[in-house]
Amino acid sequence: MSNENKSLVDVRGLKMYFPVGKSLLAKNRRWLKAVDDVSFTIGRGETFGLVGESGCGKTTVGRCLVRLYQPTAGSILFDGQDIAHTREKQLAPYRKRMQMIFQDPYASLNPRMTIASIIAEPLLKTGMSKAELNERVRELIDLVGLKPDHMQRYPHEFSGGQRQRVGIARALASSPEFIVCDEPISALDVSIQAQVINTLEELQERLGLSYLFVSHDLSMVRHISHTVGVMYLGCMVERAPVQELYRNMLHPYTKALMSAVPVPDPDAAAKAERIHLSGDVPTPIDPPSGCRFRARCPYATERCAQERPELRDVGNGHFVACHIV
Amino acid sequence: MRLLEIENLRTTFDIHVGSVQAVRGIDLHVDEGETVGIVGESGCGKSVSMLSLLHLLPDYARVTADKIAFGGTDLTKMDAKAMRRLSGDQIGMIFQDPMTSLNPLFTVGSQLIEPLRIHKKIGEKEAAQIVLDKLRLVEIPDPESRMKQYPHELSGGMRQRIMIAMAIMCDPRLIIADEPTTALDVTIQAQILDLIASLQKKLGTAVIMITHDLGVIAGMCQRVVVMYGGVIVEEGTVREIFYQPRHPYTWGLLRSIPQKSGEKKKLVPISGSPPDLIAPPPGCPFAARCPYAMNICNSAMPPMRPVSDTHSARCYLMDEGAPDVKWEGIRA
Repeated sequence: MSNENKSLVDVRGLKMYFPVGKSLLAKNRRWLKAVDDVSFTIGRGETFGLVGESGCGKTTVGRCLVRLYQPTAGSILFDGQDIAHTREKQLAPYRKRMQMIFQDPYASLNPRMTIASIIAEPLLKTGMSKAELNERVRELIDLVGLKPDHMQRYPHEFSGGQRQRVGIARALASSPEFIVCDEPISALDVSIQAQVINTLEELQERLGLSYLFVSHDLSMVRHISHTVGVMYLGCMVERAPVQELYRNMLHPYTKALMSAVPVPDPDAAAKAERIHLSGDVPTPIDPPSGCRFRARCPYATERCAQERPELRDVGNGHFVACHIV
Repeated sequence: MRLLEIENLRTTFDIHVGSVQAVRGIDLHVDEGETVGIVGESGCGKSVSMLSLLHLLPDYARVTADKIAFGGTDLTKMDAKAMRRLSGDQIGMIFQDPMTSLNPLFTVGSQLIEPLRIHKKIGEKEAAQIVLDKLRLVEIPDPESRMKQYPHELSGGMRQRIMIAMAIMCDPRLIIADEPTTALDVTIQAQILDLIASLQKKLGTAVIMITHDLGVIAGMCQRVVVMYGGVIVEEGTVREIFYQPRHPYTWGLLRSIPQKSGEKKKLVPISGSPPDLIAPPPGCPFAARCPYAMNICNSAMPPMRPVSDTHSARCYLMDEGAPDVKWEGIRA
């Protein structure tokens, strides 16, 4: 915590390209541009919500941030230190400061390990004694709202919501400052989603955690985030503080995305006007030139095909990448 | 006009650890051309009840009902074969996952033409023509070339359109849509929901929409049935359910979703998890998670009590002399 004002995570020009096919000749190689020049910052104790449809690169951004992927280009400043291209060995001190919670609470827990050993696993190399380890696991289990007698049970004995708590406890084990939550609630039932979201919020308050909250659930993102970034086909098209964004959406894609969310209120739903987007998201392999959204954008002009719009400041911390705004 | 009427439908699965009572006596009716939403969490019996209706469950499922009438025909007396004939003609089904419901080894066209030929006993050309018409109806661009493609060549939204075309192939009177948009992105979900709504207007088909998404219900349905633990706990018109709900489970569902206003308010989750249906509680299935549960709730299943002609709920709080607990709106 060297500088309180500095943001915890500062991403600049992040690019992540994956090679497609098996061509050995560099010139023939095609690239899937999963993330193409994305920049944003996450403040201490804050939640950055990343929304977009499947294939927009939001999960890839999350994985780059905790260095599960080595980015193709760009920098990731974590507490002032660029970790985008740091080698694995030098990365070790940062590993325990950032953790991840996964989407599927069924696939992300080893079915042959007890809850206690799953949660203790990240701590095994820290040189804690058995008693200390046990104490810490007990503490974590209590922190996420599970009971001590759950410790010796196996994942299959738990419901989806409880499993997700185990995942959260495991992520918290190394006392991280930053957690990437990759669709942490999309596999859960509505009534259980709220339990997990409340747990995440309480933990943030108590421990001052920062989150990257990756989700396609726009209403949940609105609820939990301080700042929201909207991604489309590897690019960030709009970014703003949550209140500002939902009050004043500027990018045509953001507007369409938000208007497509079904409103759980019959009267409002009858009045709501939907902006229709035709077609599907194009493939990120050799994406369209210029603005990535232009093929589906009702306002696209000549300029959109030639020139890629930069994310520019329109005041109030609001950034948008669109020529017509 | 009543299209479908079900009384006391029960479905039990006999598995090695015991009998799972997935559906424990539901009454349901659907009128011609209306859209009824069935909402509830995973395992509440919403899908199983519809699959029971269509005889689509495996052999170890036991289905009983006092009455299942479809357009005046009693389905309880039908054998599986006759049932298939009827449901193929008059009931269309749309499943959740368009990837696994299409055969990856056959072109889309052959998957659509073949069953139609067999079912209607018509020639290849005639069937192909009907298929083309239906593909146009579900707004698939360039249907001739799509028919030659394999499912993996199509996007999720396109595949779901194919499934819808399949469901309306024989101009059914009822479409059962089981979480038709859960696997899709929001903008595609909006396209598919609009499509279902417009088809319904054009064809006058009744729709049963199974979903866990209250937003989908609010936008699509006229009536809503709320299921929990294998029983219906509340039913009513969409406005009754959203604005004057009477059952604490419905309250819980409505409160656990973030509000549109975007106020930073704590969500109110429903604590605990749904009951084990191998040994369901003798009383109200929601009692264990209900903040207002009384002694009687644990011992006897509350009966369905009418609130209005269209609205009823299964809760002892509606009795005279019960504690005065009222729904104070979502923001309470």
